[in-house]
Amino acid sequence: MKPRVVLVDDHELFRAGVRGEIATSVDIVGEASTVADAVPLIRELDPDVVLLDVHLPDGGGEGVIAGVAQERPAVKFLALSVSDAAEDVIGVIRAGARGYVTKTISGAELQNAIERVAQGDAVFSPRLAGFVLDAFRAGEPLGGDAELDNLTPREREVLQLIARGYRYKEIAARLHLSIKTVEAHVSSVLRKLQLSSRHELSRWAQQRRLV
Amino acid sequence: MSALLFERSSDDRVIAGVCGGIAARLAVDATLVRLVFAILALAGGAGILVYLALWIYARSRRALPAAALFALASAAILFALGLSGTALLGATLLVAGLVTVLAGGGSLRPGGSLPRLGVALLIAGAVIFLGRHGASGDLLAPGAVAGALILVVGPWLWQLTVERAERIRLQERAEVAARIHDSVLQTLALIQRHAGDPPRVATIARRQERELRRWLYGSGVADAESLVAALADAAADVEELHGVPVELASAGDAALDDRARQLVLAAREAMTNAAKFSGAAEIAVYAEVGSDAVSVFVRDRGTGFDRAAVAPERRGIAESIEGRLERAGGTATIVTTPGSGTEVELELPRTEA
Repeated sequence: MKPRVVLVDDHELFRAGVRGEIATSVDIVGEASTVADAVPLIRELDPDVVLLDVHLPDGGGEGVIAGVAQERPAVKFLALSVSDAAEDVIGVIRAGARGYVTKTISGAELQNAIERVAQGDAVFSPRLAGFVLDAFRAGEPLGGDAELDNLTPREREVLQLIARGYRYKEIAARLHLSIKTVEAHVSSVLRKLQLSSRHELSRWAQQRRLV
Repeated sequence: MSALLFERSSDDRVIAGVCGGIAARLAVDATLVRLVFAILALAGGAGILVYLALWIYARSRRALPAAALFALASAAILFALGLSGTALLGATLLVAGLVTVLAGGGSLRPGGSLPRLGVALLIAGAVIFLGRHGASGDLLAPGAVAGALILVVGPWLWQLTVERAERIRLQERAEVAARIHDSVLQTLALIQRHAGDPPRVATIARRQERELRRWLYGSGVADAESLVAALADAAADVEELHGVPVELASAGDAALDDRARQLVLAAREAMTNAAKFSGAAEIAVYAEVGSDAVSVFVRDRGTGFDRAAVAPERRGIAESIEGRLERAGGTATIVTTPGSGTEVELELPRTEA
């Protein structure tokens, strides 16, 4: 069954482009261009996946997630952005998005990312993987939950390969793991990213200005 | 001064409509105003004097007699409070100074000039008034002088700050406009001219996107100063020259010293090779700055190649990549097999070799 998708982006042109690229493989049930429109729409339609622009005129994508998550916990969010600024990306992930891809992503890869998120997996772009590796840098003294505040060597390895442009399948082959295991590692990193109280995360995201 | 631009009330009047006028102007109950005047009238007749002053001002709009009456009223209040003659002199000077300042251009509002006489009177008044009045005069006098100065000079300084902020804003705006003109508008013009050539349009748009992004989120300087910025430059150049998108990801960053520059040049060569020979639709570059080494990975999903089959006179890989890294004290590893793409791994220890 095709995943039911709501598209939230304030640029009509961009929405039209995405519609054209993914309409064959997903079922686009609704579109919105503001936080105020998106929240009631998503609550009403209860889609599988919301493609969410990080920047919206009346607040960020975080606002949409905050307005929906309580009532519709099953709705998954995939963040789309041209910004690539670390504080935006980390912010929307920590708010609850299950993945982040750049708007320059190809149609085929976007379809793939939507399907992955619909199944409950996490989707990291190479750039996001780089951010996360930087933010979870080893060697800092920690005060919080050590399990949540650190990446395991294996998670680090997987993230590094994502940053280097490897797909899950290629990572699995290279590390002699199953694709399911790779997905489990990425989901685990996502959970840490969302739940870690590691204060470096927010500080790092604020300080960081991406080229 | 706008609070003084009241008209005497013709329908709400007991004597001359002054209280009614003030009440209307300040939007309060007239009885309240009358009560204040009545209480002031008990203080040596000050209320009566103030009333007369306002009446005169409202009738003739002549400030001087009104101000004089005000000063008298103030004196009456101070006398009623039991102040000495010296303190009264100080207070009078204070009021006179204030009046002079106000009369000399209303400089309590920003933009006015600073009448020196007024300032001098204010300071002298403050010194005398507070110097003679009360046991803590020694402590209060300098404070009063400072207060008087702030009262008069403050708005003027504030004006300067506002002007400065405004100037900076205008300057920034001009810079943004110049930038948009030089880059975005030029690019849009280029895109229109090449509308029939989609790959070229895509390349132009992508380069513009990179430039704009660097300007918006980066350091804003033309020459890259960090490793990641330099890699982004190299990626943009390769993209433009060969029309293959280069995705750059990074964790951490480092200063661009000579060795790092060699690393960037080697990475650029690897990107160029991938763009020219691999046939891949996209190149992935990842830079990681660790505590003891800097690593750059350049990966494509192209055809790959057989090292042994590369003609010996083709010196690109040996010289530009491996030789360069070796001289800088690092290592270059090239992993490739025909049919499964290529990954060039460049590593440079951070401590000087």
